[in-house]
Amino acid sequence: MLQVKDLHKSYKAGKITYEVLNGINLTVAQGEFVAVMGPSGSGKTTLLNCISCYIPFDKGHITLGGQDLKNLNEESLSKVHNKKLGFVFQDFMLLDGLNVLDNIMLPRIISGDTSEAMEQRGNELCDIFGISHIKNKYPAEISGGEKQRTAVARSLINEPLMILADEPTGNLDSKSSRTVISSFEEAKNHLSATIFMVTHDSFAASFCDRVIMLKDGAVYKVLEKKTERGAFQEELLEAIKEMSGDVA
Amino acid sequence: MKNFGKINTALRRKNKKNYALLVACIFFSVLLITAYVSMMRSPTVLAILPEGGDSRKQMMMIFVLAAIGCGFFTTYAASIFFRYKSREAGIFMALGASRGQISRQLFYELFVISAGSCAAGALLGTPLAWCIWQLFRTLLVDTQEMTLAFDPQAYMFALAFSLFIFISIFIMGRRFIRRTNIIDIVNEQRKSEPIREVKPWYGPVGIVLMIVGGFGGYIAPTIFIKVYQWYPPAWTNIIYLPLFIGLYMVLIHTVVRGWKHGKSRYKNIITNSLMKFQGKQTVNNMLVITVLIAGAYFAAFYTPMLGTGAMQETEKRPVDYAFHYRADQNMLTRSDITAIAAEEGVTITSWKDAEFAVLGQDGQHEVDDEGGKYHYEYSKLNGAGKYIAESNYNAMTGQNINVEPGRFAAVLADDGTGDNMIQVDATWLTNMTTRKMLSVSFQKYLRYEMMASSYYVLDDADYAQITAGLANEWREKLVYFNVEGALLTYDFAKKLYNSIVDHSGPECELPEFYDRVEKIAADKASETYWGDTEQMTKISYAGRDSSEFKQFWEYMPQFRVLDRNNFVATYAVFLMLFIFIAIICFAAVLVIGYTRCLTIAINNLQVYEDLRRLGATPKYLYNSIKGQISKVFGVPGIVGTSLIYIFYVMIMFFNDNMITQSEISGLISCLFVIAGMSVVIWIFHRFTLHKVCKMLNVKQSGKQHTNKCTE
Ligand SMILES: Nc1ncnc2c1ncn2[C@@H]1O[C@H](COP(=O)(O)OP(=O)(O)OP(=O)(O)O)[C@@H](O)[C@H]1O
Ligand SMILES: [Mg+2]
Repeated sequence: MLQVKDLHKSYKAGKITYEVLNGINLTVAQGEFVAVMGPSGSGKTTLLNCISCYIPFDKGHITLGGQDLKNLNEESLSKVHNKKLGFVFQDFMLLDGLNVLDNIMLPRIISGDTSEAMEQRGNELCDIFGISHIKNKYPAEISGGEKQRTAVARSLINEPLMILADEPTGNLDSKSSRTVISSFEEAKNHLSATIFMVTHDSFAASFCDRVIMLKDGAVYKVLEKKTERGAFQEELLEAIKEMSGDVA
Repeated sequence: MKNFGKINTALRRKNKKNYALLVACIFFSVLLITAYVSMMRSPTVLAILPEGGDSRKQMMMIFVLAAIGCGFFTTYAASIFFRYKSREAGIFMALGASRGQISRQLFYELFVISAGSCAAGALLGTPLAWCIWQLFRTLLVDTQEMTLAFDPQAYMFALAFSLFIFISIFIMGRRFIRRTNIIDIVNEQRKSEPIREVKPWYGPVGIVLMIVGGFGGYIAPTIFIKVYQWYPPAWTNIIYLPLFIGLYMVLIHTVVRGWKHGKSRYKNIITNSLMKFQGKQTVNNMLVITVLIAGAYFAAFYTPMLGTGAMQETEKRPVDYAFHYRADQNMLTRSDITAIAAEEGVTITSWKDAEFAVLGQDGQHEVDDEGGKYHYEYSKLNGAGKYIAESNYNAMTGQNINVEPGRFAAVLADDGTGDNMIQVDATWLTNMTTRKMLSVSFQKYLRYEMMASSYYVLDDADYAQITAGLANEWREKLVYFNVEGALLTYDFAKKLYNSIVDHSGPECELPEFYDRVEKIAADKASETYWGDTEQMTKISYAGRDSSEFKQFWEYMPQFRVLDRNNFVATYAVFLMLFIFIAIICFAAVLVIGYTRCLTIAINNLQVYEDLRRLGATPKYLYNSIKGQISKVFGVPGIVGTSLIYIFYVMIMFFNDNMITQSEISGLISCLFVIAGMSVVIWIFHRFTLHKVCKMLNVKQSGKQHTNKCTE
């Protein structure tokens, strides 16, 4: 589904160039739920922004569903953002002026679809993520967890190849985080969605099939969930400790 | 069912406030400009303000200023609108909307907003002007000449201005669409532009630069002209530049360092560091506010300065009715005038008349060289002067003065001003008929308001000698008379005025600066007299009701009741124009200051939340907010106001090297204007503070709450 080959990215600040990503290689398969973890500043957000083509990268290749994302023009890039990718952001990025249902349908509306089917689909998603009772409310009137579930539903309305999420639980308490993670599991199990999530939270990551550890802009370790969730979380914590121990 | 357009409609409905601000600003600026232009192009006003005259130039200059001011706050409002729009556009783009899709929606909105509010403003502008004018008529003075007519062509200006607004907003929109970048919105990266380092000497040096620039810029042209005998071209205004650099330095110092020093460094650390972070934009905004406040006051002061002086002049006149005419004219006689007065039921209480002569006098005059330079040349027949015999002068004025034989005296105003407007370097006088000459020298100044800066007085014997054989065309009659209830004799004055004009021949159809002696000298040297060239203002009896004619006709009578009405009409026009410009500038100041403060609030939302969590008391938070807001309004207010006031005092002083009584009363009225406007700014500042506190959830009554908590 997603292939990242030898990805390089650097930022220039004045005369100094910071190498942020130093040749990242990874793949994500269809239907997989993958998390990226790593210390602050290791380049997680940068990686995600490169995959979503929000920022340009220096070297390497990213292919999504067989399509090379390098050198796409703006028009085709918009199509990729609209149809092939779904996004979930840390601070939700819902439009305050639209109610929950309209926010969910927004990507579909942008693509020019105005059919009954769309509305039906929006309602279905509300049902799946347990937000039907608030679908006529505005973002200012609902809780953080509800906002993020709305955002997850929005990311799925166009049946994208993959969902990209940057710290989706970063702004939420543990209970709300739990409901958001459940909605990802829901999406994976019922809608066979592919999810690529950046997180700090080992609890959230422990729900994933696979966790990629980033350090200093390179893949440090990849852990696969073979055991049950609790044990996997222990394993993750161990790996994080080891990684920071390396630094010290 | 739902489509992109519908979604945008829903968003608009929810975000009415953001649209309302832009709509209001465009509407307001087009309204004001249209009203201003309607006034400016109105035939009534054009008749009052003479063509090519200074007042019309000033009116045009102010119009340009007003247009710039309006342009300023409209584009500023637009930039705030785009700031609001950027989040929406960023989310749309993150979800895969194309730039084309977003720009179509945006331009549709911009079109509706600007077309709608421009049209509304343009439609209501003229009625607004009419209403204000009617108000003046009811409150101040009302004569037939003041019936306001409008010229449909004025709408061309309104249209041009609307077009300008329209185009600027579209250009801004295009730039916005081009620049919108998903990642900026996703990361919420607000670009802050911290000011790097501000040395402690910035402020004091800035103040010195301001003084040097302001004083130097003002005094430089005089130095060029007096010392180097060179009229400096416009680019030399660059001497004012240090003024603006100094202003910038003072503002930056105030924002970053503040002026209070010593132990309190930590007291204001939050306020100062917060402002420092948006330093550049804040300082730029403050600079604009300062200039606008200065502009508003410049306009607002003009009327009181003009008003008090001129009004006092007509009130102070010792004579109700005065006029002079050439002895070769078939003018109304005393009995003619008495008859007209009787017809109008007016009683003449006293009557004086006397003869005087127009003589040639020698002197220096400027001769132009190339490149704006000039030198002086002497000639025997340099110009004309009005000379009256001492006994006639005493009879007309009721004074008892004596001029020595072979000397002459020059008349100044009652307060001794006007010496710069009358030359006293003549040594030879010439009888223009016989060409006989008389050697004279300057003896002293006399004071009499009605003859100020235009009459000379000679010894009786000298006068008889030099005017012997003088033809009637060089002799004139001066008439002064008073009536009962002078201010109620408008109809009589009007009738008499028309009659005097009717009795004047074509040889008298001349402006006051047409010098017959100079003309004769130029003819003799076979040169073209400049008074006969195109540059010379032409006047005509047909335009006897125009303000131009009233201002410039050589034989214009001075009738108190007419001059007073005429003055009030002119004054009303100016008052209106300047009030307009002051309103525009102040509106811009308030809009920019208000939005700047809101921006500071939005950007610091998180900081204040964190401070609260760290245990800052509401009082502390309140004071920190107050400190920032007061700076945004207070510093430009104080700096701009004092700058312009000092500038006015300087002008008043340097025009005659003294400050006269009427200038002092003018300056005092200006202080009242300052007090009034400052109160408005202060109220608005409180309103903004209230709003920002509400946004940041800081209690304004913080004081009492904290007291209770700490006890
Ligand atoms: N726009 C930028 N310009 C310059 N440097 C940047 C920019 N964005 C990120 N960086 C730098 O790149 C590095 C990686 O940043 P990135 O945001 O990808 O880290 P991260 O792993 O997401 O960290 P965190 O867990 O704190 O979110 C950091 O050192 C950061 O300072
Ligand atoms: Mg990050």
